[in-house]
Amino acid sequence: MCSRHQNNRDYVISQGGDSTKILPVIASPTHYIFQIFREGITFLACTQVEMPPLMGIEFLCRVADVLTGYLGGLNEDLIKDNFIIVYELLDEMMDNGFPLTTVPNILREMIAPPNIVSKVLSVVTGKSSNVSNILPDATASPVPWRKSDLKSSSNEVYVDLIEELDAILSREGVLVKCEVYGEVHVNSHLPGLPDLTLSFANPSILNDVRFHPCVRFRPWEGEQILSFVPPDGEFKLASYRVKKLKNIPIYVKPQLSSSSGHCRVSVLVGIRNDPGKVIENITVQFQLPSCVESVDVSSNHGTVNVLADKTCFWSIGRIPKDKSPNLSGNLILEPGLDRLHVFPVFRVGFKIVGVALSGLQINKLEIKNLPARLYKGFRATTKAGEYEVRS
Amino acid sequence: MAPPVPNLPKTSSPSQPSGKSEVADLKLQLRQLAGSIAPGSDDSRREIFKKVISFMTVGIDVSAAFSEMVMCSATSDVVLKKMCYLYVCNYARSNPDLALLTINFLQKDCRDDDPMIRGLALRSLCSLRVANLVEYLVSPLTTGLKDSSPYVRMVAAIGVLKLYHISPSTCLDSDFLAMLKALMLNDPDAQVVANCLSSLQEIWSLEAGNLEAVSREREALLSKQVVYYLLNRIKEFNEWAQCLILELASKYIPSDSNEIFDIMNLLEDRLQHANSAVVLATIKVFLYLTMSMTDVHQQVYERIKAPLLTLVSSGSPEQSYAVLSHLHLLVMRAPILFSSDYKHFYCQYSEPVYVQKLKLEMLTAIANESNTYEIVTELCEYVANVDISISRESIRAVGKIALQQYDVNAIVDRLLQFLEMEKDYVTAETLVLVKDLLRKYPQWSHDCIAVVGNISSKNVQEPKGKAALIWMLGEYSNDMLDAPYILESLLENWNEEQAPEVRLHLLTAAMKCFFKRPPEAQKALGVALAAGLADSHQDVHDRALFYYRLLQHDVSVAERVVNPPKQAVSVFTDAQSSEIKDHVFDEFNTLSVLYQKPAYMFTDKEHRGPFELAEELGSLSLGTGSVEHVIPAQSYEASDNDLLLGTSEKEESRGLGNNDSAYSAPGYDTSLISLEDKQVQPESNFLSLAVPTMPSHTSSVLDDLLGLGTPIIPPPPTLKLNPKAVLDPSNFQRKWGQLTTSLTEEFSINPQGAVALKVPQALHRHMQGHSIQCIASGGQPPSLKFFFFAQKEGETSPFFLVECLINTSSAKAQINIKAEDPTLSEPFSTLFRSALLALSPS
Repeated sequence: MCSRHQNNRDYVISQGGDSTKILPVIASPTHYIFQIFREGITFLACTQVEMPPLMGIEFLCRVADVLTGYLGGLNEDLIKDNFIIVYELLDEMMDNGFPLTTVPNILREMIAPPNIVSKVLSVVTGKSSNVSNILPDATASPVPWRKSDLKSSSNEVYVDLIEELDAILSREGVLVKCEVYGEVHVNSHLPGLPDLTLSFANPSILNDVRFHPCVRFRPWEGEQILSFVPPDGEFKLASYRVKKLKNIPIYVKPQLSSSSGHCRVSVLVGIRNDPGKVIENITVQFQLPSCVESVDVSSNHGTVNVLADKTCFWSIGRIPKDKSPNLSGNLILEPGLDRLHVFPVFRVGFKIVGVALSGLQINKLEIKNLPARLYKGFRATTKAGEYEVRS
Repeated sequence: MAPPVPNLPKTSSPSQPSGKSEVADLKLQLRQLAGSIAPGSDDSRREIFKKVISFMTVGIDVSAAFSEMVMCSATSDVVLKKMCYLYVCNYARSNPDLALLTINFLQKDCRDDDPMIRGLALRSLCSLRVANLVEYLVSPLTTGLKDSSPYVRMVAAIGVLKLYHISPSTCLDSDFLAMLKALMLNDPDAQVVANCLSSLQEIWSLEAGNLEAVSREREALLSKQVVYYLLNRIKEFNEWAQCLILELASKYIPSDSNEIFDIMNLLEDRLQHANSAVVLATIKVFLYLTMSMTDVHQQVYERIKAPLLTLVSSGSPEQSYAVLSHLHLLVMRAPILFSSDYKHFYCQYSEPVYVQKLKLEMLTAIANESNTYEIVTELCEYVANVDISISRESIRAVGKIALQQYDVNAIVDRLLQFLEMEKDYVTAETLVLVKDLLRKYPQWSHDCIAVVGNISSKNVQEPKGKAALIWMLGEYSNDMLDAPYILESLLENWNEEQAPEVRLHLLTAAMKCFFKRPPEAQKALGVALAAGLADSHQDVHDRALFYYRLLQHDVSVAERVVNPPKQAVSVFTDAQSSEIKDHVFDEFNTLSVLYQKPAYMFTDKEHRGPFELAEELGSLSLGTGSVEHVIPAQSYEASDNDLLLGTSEKEESRGLGNNDSAYSAPGYDTSLISLEDKQVQPESNFLSLAVPTMPSHTSSVLDDLLGLGTPIIPPPPTLKLNPKAVLDPSNFQRKWGQLTTSLTEEFSINPQGAVALKVPQALHRHMQGHSIQCIASGGQPPSLKFFFFAQKEGETSPFFLVECLINTSSAKAQINIKAEDPTLSEPFSTLFRSALLALSPS
């Protein structure tokens, strides 16, 4: 790991377009180069010697996460405007090729994020440093992710279940694969050293769980409860998978029939298993095969756009009570082609607030070491992850 | 604080003119602000510093402002200081004299009250990397290692490593290593411990060869005491340091099984860590610890399954890629492990192609009796995928599964359905597979041939698919009614057929067809042989000649040679030897897993060349591109002429010695008669049909050859190399792993040439002149090692890969050739040898 420098601009590899085709690790005659691609920016790292590959890849992911958190997004302009902060962050995250800390809380104590408040403050007080002169004492504390003498005014803690539903449906409507990937997010604003215990009503459905370093392993192993001292602010407490689900909220029935250079397309969308809450932001998109010359599609609900890269994007929103949304139209194939041989995959997007489709339920959240009254909040959201319907 | 921007030369910056005046302007402003303590002066300084740094970032040379920047650095503002450090570190290396100016203020900052400033200053001081300033580093580093703040100690621990890289002797002569070791074992702060460990490991591993004491120290790191101490504290460390410690633990050899279980119990929760690097490092420890305990090893596989699958499905695509590569390795050793989790490897449409390809490999690897049906059904879905490369890979995957399994009934049906899709690339890939399937399962020939027979050869354009179709036409001409006529129509387009592979197959198919259905195929064979003899491609020409002579010699022998009864192939040779797989398994959780090659192939120090080398090669190939283009072409023509001359001379002399009359015109008539004697009527005429269509010069050569009763060794086929062959290192590695060594040779080289090899670049340039490209080189004289590649003339022609070991003192060379077309490795070796022998000291 003798020399690992890193860059956060895509000027070394400038294929410009399709970064999804470039391998994440490339061997040059003298170096291995890692690359990850986020929001149009390529993050690069290189090494001359063997090392664990995930250390490089995971580190770049963390750098991207930290920068996103600091800059409130990620794009070329944001990085250009804040390059001093970027330099400062990189300096604290890595020294001589060895990763130091990538924990946002600790970094935030060393380098203040560029926000409007601090800008206003600097104008008013004349004190213009965005660096706290106090070094984080967290590195020496028994809970490295938390300052020991934290004061908080709000006394509140929120637990969010955020689930993504991955599913593949065959053209006959059979569920080929269905799985939920979920995350437990906690947003904690509590003083002192609070000790929290979160339990689920049905932990046995969880297939594999990964924890934030603050979670104690033994209570989970013994009683399947999450016992932890939280970092301040928002963080991902745990992530999990739930396999072999049977219920999916919406169906999409695509039909393509082609003859003599034309292809009739019809897509029907409706509710399959009612989740009990409103399904919002429903979208259906599919890539038209390259042999399609022109498209003429319309829908009885929502809007349809055909983008320049031949992606057909149908934004439905909510399903109306009185009718089933239907998209229909005609594809004209390129000359000489009689029938369509390549069939598009329909990718579905949706969001359901108020329900975790895996069925995971939070039982209760207990808090020790806190005498004062506090506010606890729970939420659940399910989104479509990779929700695909074949045709 | 090395900034990520290369220090571009002045001329390359387009904004230079305006940049220059702006730099002067900035200098002036800085000068005015230096020493100012007026309120708000820090703000203005900050603005100017920002401008300077932004110029530096985009590559404008602002080193002219060095002294002004240093003057303004006396400030209490941390951000200003950080920017100043950044600036100084960037320019110190190129301006060592100016760097001296900064030592003073950096040393002063190292004694600041604020630990953060002390740490930053020390880090910058060590990052100047100016050799003649090392004397100023020793004392701040010594103080830094004893600092009361862990932040400073942490920086100092890495600082020692930086010092070692600038000047190893200074680092070793001071007492730093002992201090680091003491800190590593005693410091209360985990990050300090981790940095000490990281520095010590690197320094010791680089020094291990030189000093006995150092290698002992290095071994002591793996003692029970140290490993246990670190493992017991593992939760205090941050995730990256945990990786470091886990890596160390994976090398630890426990003394008994209790230790193994203790360590595994201690580390079990690491498998559930949020950081994928920690999870994988833990898995490595588990696998290595239990290597000798078969039962436990199996349990470990079960235990790590869920975390691995989660990593695949939950991480970024880049992480999935790395994890899948490891899964593939595991599955090779324990295929049954994931056989019930096959759905995890179903491809999603939106995944990047590199992830999908690995998933296809996984699906192929885990297919067994219980899941084949589902997996193949799923794979068939991908064949209609929009991405053509995935579609192709899926067909190949289906084929591989079919070759693995006993129950191929359903799969064959599916494959045959692909043929009905009427997509040219699908048809081509499928034909190749059907061919392989028939070689293994001849009993399916009936069903397959019925479908294959319906394919119009006009719809198959890809050489591989076409070759496969032609092979089947030849092999199963008895079952395909119109096989001879299809062959005939294909032969009509002989001259338009680009790929020599296809022409070779046409020749063989015509022969086979002829033996099976003589009356109908006779015409086709005549046309094929005539076209083959006139072919400019050496292999095609030789094969046609060979068949011709074989037929002439004895038709029944020819049939035994060309069309013997075949045994079904039971096992196709695996692309990768298990030895290599085991080797890669030893390197679990390293980059070599991603390449499926052992690490020594590319990251061995021996193979690592300086960076300049690659650049030099790049410019070289650009600069001399046109020259290269000419030389090989000429040499080809020359050698070709030589060759023709050489052989005809030989024949002449021998012919004269043998029999004068055989040399004259009626040569082939006599041979015709001899054929007629042995064979039934229909075959005898084919030559009289064939010969007249031949171009005159070939036929005269043929006459000569026919006239001579003695067998003649065919001239070695000349090989023309593509002067602009391109092969990227990853492909090189892939090919190198896949191919087996087709030829190994040892020979002496020109001793004068060996002298020229004092620098490896000499050989690079020399071989490049012979259209052989160097991809990697290394070693120290006298023993040097090179990896070369070359490509046969043509866009998609086969590659040759060469590993070349040269001992310059004994002037001996050893070459290992791997060729995509092993039949060509002999001529290539000759070419390579002559190129190497031509090396001269100039």
